[in-house]
Amino acid sequence: MTTETVVRLDGVRKEYGGTAALDGVSLEIRRGEAVAVMGPSGCGKSTLLNMIAGLDRPSAGEVTVHGERLDLMNETRLALFRRHHLGMIFQFFNLLDDLSALDNVALAAQLTGSSAATARRRALELFDELGIAGRRDVYPAALSGGERQRVAVARALMNRPALLLADEPTGALDSKAGEQVMDLLIDLNQIGQTLLIVTHDERLAHRCASRLVELADGRIARESALDRV
Amino acid sequence: MSAVWAAARAAIRRRKLQTFVIGLVVLLCTTTTVVSLALLDATSAPFDRAFAEQRGAHAVAVYDPAVVTGTRLAAAKSGVESAAGPFGQVVLDPENDPGPLLRGQITVVGRADPGGEVDRLDLWRGRWPSAPGEIVLNETRMDDPIGLQITDDMKTVQAGGVTLTVVGWAYSLSATADAWVTPEQMTALRPTGTQMLYRFSGDVSTREAIEQRLAGVTAGLPGQALLAARPYQVIKEEMAESAGVYLALLGAFGVLGLLVAVIIVGNVVSGAVVSGFRHIGVLKSVGFTPRQVVAVYLTMVTVPAMVGAVTGTALGSLAAQPLVADTFRDLGLGQDAGVRIWVLAAGLIGVPGLVLLAALLPATRAHRLSAAEAISAGSSPRRGRGLRIQRALSGTRLPRSVSLGLGLPFARPARTALTMASLLLGVTTVTFATGLSESILRVAALSAEAGGNVGVVSRPPGLGEGTQRTPAEVEAMLRAIPGTAQVGVAARKDVVILGHSEPVEFGFVRGDVAAMGYERQLLEGRWLSGPGEVVAPVQLLNARGLKVGDTLTADLDGARLSLTVVGAMYEGLPGPSDGLIAAWRDLDGLSKDDFYYMVQLRDGADMEGYLAAVRAADPGLDAWDNTGDDELTVIVTGSSALFAVLLAAVAALGVLNTVALNVQDRRRDLGMLKSIGMTPRQVIAMLVTSMAALGVLGGLIGIPVGMAAHRIVVPAAADAVKLTLPDYVLRVWEPGTLALMVLSGVLIAVLGALLPARSAARLTIARVLHNE
Repeated sequence: MTTETVVRLDGVRKEYGGTAALDGVSLEIRRGEAVAVMGPSGCGKSTLLNMIAGLDRPSAGEVTVHGERLDLMNETRLALFRRHHLGMIFQFFNLLDDLSALDNVALAAQLTGSSAATARRRALELFDELGIAGRRDVYPAALSGGERQRVAVARALMNRPALLLADEPTGALDSKAGEQVMDLLIDLNQIGQTLLIVTHDERLAHRCASRLVELADGRIARESALDRV
Repeated sequence: MSAVWAAARAAIRRRKLQTFVIGLVVLLCTTTTVVSLALLDATSAPFDRAFAEQRGAHAVAVYDPAVVTGTRLAAAKSGVESAAGPFGQVVLDPENDPGPLLRGQITVVGRADPGGEVDRLDLWRGRWPSAPGEIVLNETRMDDPIGLQITDDMKTVQAGGVTLTVVGWAYSLSATADAWVTPEQMTALRPTGTQMLYRFSGDVSTREAIEQRLAGVTAGLPGQALLAARPYQVIKEEMAESAGVYLALLGAFGVLGLLVAVIIVGNVVSGAVVSGFRHIGVLKSVGFTPRQVVAVYLTMVTVPAMVGAVTGTALGSLAAQPLVADTFRDLGLGQDAGVRIWVLAAGLIGVPGLVLLAALLPATRAHRLSAAEAISAGSSPRRGRGLRIQRALSGTRLPRSVSLGLGLPFARPARTALTMASLLLGVTTVTFATGLSESILRVAALSAEAGGNVGVVSRPPGLGEGTQRTPAEVEAMLRAIPGTAQVGVAARKDVVILGHSEPVEFGFVRGDVAAMGYERQLLEGRWLSGPGEVVAPVQLLNARGLKVGDTLTADLDGARLSLTVVGAMYEGLPGPSDGLIAAWRDLDGLSKDDFYYMVQLRDGADMEGYLAAVRAADPGLDAWDNTGDDELTVIVTGSSALFAVLLAAVAALGVLNTVALNVQDRRRDLGMLKSIGMTPRQVIAMLVTSMAALGVLGGLIGIPVGMAAHRIVVPAAADAVKLTLPDYVLRVWEPGTLALMVLSGVLIAVLGALLPARSAARLTIARVLHNE
């Protein structure tokens, strides 16, 4: 693991209608780390993830990811930043129903200007690596939950992101599929992928993360190193 | 407050854009509907309507006062619903020239007032005669400054040793007289006839029916009492000939307007209900009965619809009134061309009713859905649609935002079909309106071109001394004035054709007449090439049962001439002449008033300067600008443009609604796309592309449909007045125009899509993705 900082939050505050969802949060994530963020509902987990992903802007404070200040970027620059440096996976997968699994994944590269052939080649490599090569032409409605999440992971990895953000990645999966996704995240981290996982699931945090950040009332209540189970 | 109302009010507040779109679409559709129905109502029976308003005379009868007394005529009422008269009547031959609106003999009637049970006159200027020596003239209402100036200049009528001062202007649709005086004045003028005006009960639909009714009235009168009688159908047929072409065209727009309004209201409203399925599920889960859910949705849709309908009815009524009034006043039909109650009712009740019906169908579907099904309708993965197309598009070299946009319409085929219908009708309307306007302008241009852009005649008696020059000298003088490009001269003369009961007016022409647009007017055959040939307006040929190739024998100044009809024209020479056109010859017995000079100016010549130069060169000549559009042309082209803009706006709103619904449906997809790096510009490009593609398709289909409609409706409208239009008038489509038409489809689609696409680009990803 290097000491290069991928994410730095400095005194980040986010208010919604006068209520602070985040209140002076400062946090660093280094390259190759796998950090889990946990806390009760409404503690600001999702808001924290939104700040780091550039999906929302802080009311105060600085958000630096991969050396760039996201809080100073306009929408277009944020989109381009996400496209090249971030990968995201969601609880409900968010695949496009009208595209095959392969085209869903290829889409991320095509948005950067890659040709369809190049994008599909790269997508196929990922399908092989994630063990879903046989499902490339299947449409989301016909995939199992675990398969959908693997497709979503493949899409997130398409542009070799500096940081992979996972928002309750196992929340909509049965236990078996959840285990498979956890294994996948561990494997990715072991080959150097920086991970930030937002979850309620202690088991997921303890299996996949090397550091745990616990939030309460919009503040970091505790940070601790984890020994992976 | 009931739970239904509370839920509906909350839904209205939450869906501001959709509520606004429903309100606006209903407003525009109601406006279109009211204008369309008002036009359809007015065009379906314009004469009947104006006739009923004036309580026109079913029959105008003139009796011999020497044979039957007025008292006896007033008592003869068999089968008569109401009657007016007896009025004294006399035919006068003015000794002075009262002005351009009165020529030749005039029929004058003595009436105490312009009202009454029959033939209620529209006294539109001045007052009714109150003393002997005063007269009111019959003329269609004129509001324009030139018309009013003409009426101002007509001050007296001198006839029978009496000078009558013009004190007013009135209009009788039944054409019961050329002028009216007081009964006392009529007595002094010694009436030669007694006029009775009748409205009959029972069937009055045909001339025969009127004759039968009239026979009933005159049954008890002396045999020679009735001098003449005219059924109202004579006037009605004359009116139909001048009004038909415009009314048919306006009527076509009315039908198109209604059609578009119905389709777009259906599209918008059903979309609003379908997109609310999840909300329906939530309502059911908290205890709303299926009926209450349906009621919530109907209320949610009805509130903005009612606001739109009331505002639209008011706007439509305001827009229709001057349109209908101007049109019919110009045609001489009626004074009160207001919008009828049933048209207003259609706007206020019919359109909201249609909205309710459109909402009811999908709401009924929601009624049947279980709460769980309804909730999952908005959130569970759907089986994709148009998958092969999506796959093919994803493999193309197009930017991915564009290829995704092109695939979007295939994801919701039913919604796409309705949107296509809106676009198709929008493009069809724009195409049809453009073609119609161009055809009308070409008809006007043909007439103007053929008449030259300056008309010149010898100053008519009463308006100064006429020219002292011979026609050849006038022609030479006109050619010498700077700015003259072409000069044509026509000499008018009534000529007896053997075998025809009435003489035919001939225009004997020379100069540049053929080159002044007359050849372009030829519908059939060719222009004159020698003295033994004539060309004729097609209406004259039809009326006289002639055709190109026929030979006529004319008796001209005692000599027999054999003339061959070599061409049929769209219309005749300018002015009152719709007669045959023949090559110039020197004729006996013509006065200087029988010559008409047409001048075509060079491009860029100063019209006002030219007219002044003609008058300065010969004060005995009257010259005027012949280029102005006639008011009806302006009204029809103006109203067609109004309809086109209105319907295009409604079509664009249909697109806006579709994109707004698509954005609503695909919020999660859009959030995901943005999360993986789709820029706001790419989001806009994707959504606009999805509609622009439909716009192109709408253009490619709508243009031929609009062209076909133009090709069918315009000749049919002309045919209604027994007119054939030259190809030049119908072939209005140039490649450049067609390309613009395709762009109109794209423009409608892009304008409609832009607003919701921009709002989609601004979607907050975090909220969209985490709230699902």
